[in-house]
Amino acid sequence: MTSELVLHPGDFGLGRVPARLAPSSTTSMVCGFCSTGCALKVHLDAEGQAVNLTPDPDYPVNQGMACPKGWEALTPLGAPDRATAPLLRQPDGKMASVSWNEALEIFCTRFQEVQVRHGAASMAVLSTGQIVTEEMALLGALAKFGLGVRHLDSNTRQCMATTHVAYKESFGFDAPPYTYADFEESDVLVFFGSNPCIAHPILWQRVVQNRRQPKVIVVDPRRTETAMAASRHYAIRPKSDLTLLYGLANLLIGRDVLDHDFIERHTDGFNAFAIHARNFSPAMVCEATGLTPAELEEFAAAIADRSKRVSFWWTMGINQGHESTRTAQAIINLALLTGQIGKPGTGPNSITGQCNAMGSRLFGNATSLMGGYSFENESDREHVARILGIDAAKIPVSKGWAYDQILDGIEQGTIRGLWVVATDPAHSWIDSERFARLRQRLEFLVVQDMYHSTRTARMADLVLPAAGWGEKSGTFINSERRIGIVHKVARASGLALSDFAIFKLIAEFWGCGEMFDRWTSPEDVFPILQELSRGQPCDFSGIRGYAHLRAAGGIQWPFTAADAQEARSRGVTQAGSRSAKSDNERRLFSDGRFFTPRHRARFVFDEPRPMPEAPDEEFPFLLLTGRGTSAQWHTGSRTNKSGVLRKLAPRSPYAELNPEDALHLRIKAGEKVRVVSRRGETSAVAVVTPTVRAGQVFMPMHFPEVNRLTLAAFDPHSRQPSYKACAVKVVKTFGR
Amino acid sequence: MSRKQRPPADGEIRTLVDSYLEEQQRLQTPVARFASEFESGTPPALASVYRDLIPLSAPAPGQQYAFEVELDACTGCKACVAACHALNGLDETEAWRDTGVVLGGTAEAPFQQTVTTACHHCADPACLNGCPVLAYEKDPHTGIVRHLDDQCIGCQYCVLKCPYDVPKYNARLGIVRKCDMCHQRLAVGEAPACVQACPTQAIRIVTVQVTRTETVQVDTSAFLGVAPDPSYTQPTTRYVSARQPPANLHAADAGTLRLQDPHWPLAVMLTLLPAAIGLQWARAESIAATARIPGWTPLALGIAGMTAAFFHLGQPWRAWRVFLGLRRSWFSREVVLLGAWLGLSVLDLVTPVVRPVTAVIGGLGLVCSVMIYVDTRRTFWAFRRTAPQFLGAALVCGLAIPFPLATASVLVVRMGWEAFGLRGQSASARLQRGPLRTVTTARYVLGAVATAFFCLAAIGGGHAAACWIALGMTIAGELADRHIFFRVVDAPKMPGMPAEVASPLGDEMLAA
Repeated sequence: MTSELVLHPGDFGLGRVPARLAPSSTTSMVCGFCSTGCALKVHLDAEGQAVNLTPDPDYPVNQGMACPKGWEALTPLGAPDRATAPLLRQPDGKMASVSWNEALEIFCTRFQEVQVRHGAASMAVLSTGQIVTEEMALLGALAKFGLGVRHLDSNTRQCMATTHVAYKESFGFDAPPYTYADFEESDVLVFFGSNPCIAHPILWQRVVQNRRQPKVIVVDPRRTETAMAASRHYAIRPKSDLTLLYGLANLLIGRDVLDHDFIERHTDGFNAFAIHARNFSPAMVCEATGLTPAELEEFAAAIADRSKRVSFWWTMGINQGHESTRTAQAIINLALLTGQIGKPGTGPNSITGQCNAMGSRLFGNATSLMGGYSFENESDREHVARILGIDAAKIPVSKGWAYDQILDGIEQGTIRGLWVVATDPAHSWIDSERFARLRQRLEFLVVQDMYHSTRTARMADLVLPAAGWGEKSGTFINSERRIGIVHKVARASGLALSDFAIFKLIAEFWGCGEMFDRWTSPEDVFPILQELSRGQPCDFSGIRGYAHLRAAGGIQWPFTAADAQEARSRGVTQAGSRSAKSDNERRLFSDGRFFTPRHRARFVFDEPRPMPEAPDEEFPFLLLTGRGTSAQWHTGSRTNKSGVLRKLAPRSPYAELNPEDALHLRIKAGEKVRVVSRRGETSAVAVVTPTVRAGQVFMPMHFPEVNRLTLAAFDPHSRQPSYKACAVKVVKTFGR
Repeated sequence: MSRKQRPPADGEIRTLVDSYLEEQQRLQTPVARFASEFESGTPPALASVYRDLIPLSAPAPGQQYAFEVELDACTGCKACVAACHALNGLDETEAWRDTGVVLGGTAEAPFQQTVTTACHHCADPACLNGCPVLAYEKDPHTGIVRHLDDQCIGCQYCVLKCPYDVPKYNARLGIVRKCDMCHQRLAVGEAPACVQACPTQAIRIVTVQVTRTETVQVDTSAFLGVAPDPSYTQPTTRYVSARQPPANLHAADAGTLRLQDPHWPLAVMLTLLPAAIGLQWARAESIAATARIPGWTPLALGIAGMTAAFFHLGQPWRAWRVFLGLRRSWFSREVVLLGAWLGLSVLDLVTPVVRPVTAVIGGLGLVCSVMIYVDTRRTFWAFRRTAPQFLGAALVCGLAIPFPLATASVLVVRMGWEAFGLRGQSASARLQRGPLRTVTTARYVLGAVATAFFCLAAIGGGHAAACWIALGMTIAGELADRHIFFRVVDAPKMPGMPAEVASPLGDEMLAA
């Protein structure tokens, strides 16, 4: 028994590893959970099968560290509820396995029947930020150019749509300007609605590595882990962030601490913005946010010091709001006012959610034509058609509907067939009970997923078993625009196929296979994507294939042919050399040239609007939602499959309540309560903690019950749902 | 729309599916392009990162290794736990480190903190002191408390002894396993898994002074405030922080009610053996009882009880080694004495001469049983509660046949005494009133009915059948009592997670 625990030198720079899991070789690949994009060194046995993993010490992103999800990344592959064969709903309502041929025939016949009856646009697709870029591009192209789908959207609508629109309007392209080294290079880091300590622990590692003794400011209604670790926490009232940001701008303008030169040369719309900001007097801002005048002054002073490098960071606290696009842009405006952009340690920087949200934003073919082009622009359509070798007439002339509009379309009967790929709307979409009702209105629902057990898969007519991360190859793009690589290190369960193979087979069975003759494998698709990127702000045509990505430790876009040339002349991309990897940190806009037609960044702003459902007498609490622990990923379809990760997360849905409210409601910690909204209700265990302010309740999004409560309200520009504010009441539960 | 622009032959498509399936199952071999070349003897790449996190040299005499956690640096990412699991090759849900949360503060200054915990490698380890087979060893040089897996019999007494809930039973192996501070790594200058894996370098290994006078002691002033009293085992882990923790700081799971493992084999054993020993006492005491209690009854109950106990061991065939811990473990003493009692009981069938000795040995064995639980320092298992239960049960069973009226009064006094434990807000009381109320009720109803039968038997001039029925009910009541004994005990532990299990009124999650 002692022998089970014997350690053995692991070689490959690993140090000691369990003797029975000692690797024959290792390979490095990017993690498939969040957008941090850590590289994991997968330990392989003699057959090339993964047996264990450790974080890659040589990768510039994570430098040998990983969060528990990364450490446990291989475990969910072996879960017993993997979909191992196509499953078809039988007349008796039960699911039965069928052959791939049958499944593909049915997929095509049923969707084509729907399209014949209700028009081609009556089939819609809900895609994901979790598959490799090459698969996303193939899905986008197949659906819109091959299957005649008009409406395709992705679950990135739930996390990054706001940032996408905000950057696009402000900078002319969806371009997060920073590199992770900026965490280390900054003097003042301001986090808005962001809890990297548990949501992006490896990015917080970079903050901790900052040797400039930075001031860390956190703006969040809750005293989160990050707020605890910060030098200053402003617990503003929920949804008062836009007012706060305009108020800060007003103070900066009033104090004339602006970078006039930068504003003059590189921005548009300053004067109108200055006039707008004047309406946000300190008194009014303090009233709205709950900050004291002294706190507001102190906050403004911290970001006003132009001798300091100030960086602004935001995540879902900003993105998931009813006026989120303008809020993100209000952060961008602060950076533009003070010229804190394009230099080390600066920038208005969005931290992305899913591992390939950035790939989805560029190549998903949802809102933008793949490659960051526009469906509405004829020359863009022709350009893309030429590269893909297809008829330009196949490309829709306008962008399709957003996620919420697709669901409305189902309700109205316009959408009759739905294909869901690697996402679980029945858990994750706002006001989730509605999705279950809408299911009844669909004539055909196909779910393509690793697991047959997701809520949506259990409602499907047809389940297509997909290979997961680690069972296929391709690339992801992380938050800092770094293109990284993933490999096949495990055999997929049963008859599961990579999403890429499934899309190719559907193309063949549908009869549009020849359109994708050049798309033979992810590795062969990568050059097509490079070609699409050429001349765009995201141009990465200088990358020399997967081998180059592997050797360089991932490469950030843009990486043009000229960049490649320059890098070669500097000799920094020598394969495998460590210095090559550490030198691999680049940021945008150092020349002040933005991607708008006038090459100027725009000040974009709007009047703040009240939140759609404020607490009232009947529903007196405001429900905040968010990530609960670092061990849980979104709906938990993967993280719940790891015993270790399960152990690191609370086991039942819980609601955090302020002690004052708990006392008033006579609720003790650990007791069961019911949380009720106008949409639904759920029971939860009360966690009594002053980290949540009185009048607010926090529940983690990982439990499906939580979205029964949330309100389907959307930002009008990004159509991203406002998950983090709705009115609820809390009721003590008596008896069982 | 154009259906099937390129209708391929059926066979061709089938081949396409097959070829994708085949391709899906094909792995790149190690010689393939993406794998690293074999790099034998490469030093650990992270060595430069953790070099400052482990001591430069081995502890000097009078020193030992200890974990030091910088609370202000720990942000709750929990990578330490996952790394412990992966780098030690542990079972699916097994990790030797765990995390919890402490909460507190005021509206103006709310406070939360993640607390990471592994074995505290105590200077005076309760696990080691209680182990009946010496399966623990405190390394004389490093002070690491090591569990010797090959020696362990899986009795889980260390699980009950450790106030920090560190040793965990592994059902697959039938033994307990726990953190060994990655001694194999430390021995070659590598950092333990958790130390290597912490992105903010919040965990390090330090050396601490151990003083050995009459007792063994370390400086526990840097031990976590919201944790079980360090004076018992002298835990060496240091939790350092520049922050002043709020006065109302508490573990996030402080309000959580947890039912503990029922330990059924032990509950059965601790029901049958006191009954057996009590009956044997009666035979030793009274000629009348000797006549009325067949000699085989105590023996049969004793054998059944001892057999039940075997089912509690994960590695029963190693149990012969149990005498090794005689010098310090009540567990060893109990097993040896009760084993002797069983032997003497057999002898008793042949020669009644041994009867008084048997009675004394049986009584001493039961005292050891009591001390096993008293020695865990759990409130619910304090001497004043446990001794009346075990010894009282023996007394009741001993008196039952010859003296039914006395039995009834002892029963009433005992149940009255125990009922005190139902009052108040202690976890044990709340569990008895809540999730375990059915068993609690059963225990008192059985006791009451047995009392009534003893009274009836007494009125009827010591009617034997009534006495035996009442004795049967008493034993059933004792079994319910032993079940409660194990399930509702207050088991100390380090701070845990909120919402692990629920509701003081009980629900299905508690029963799981």
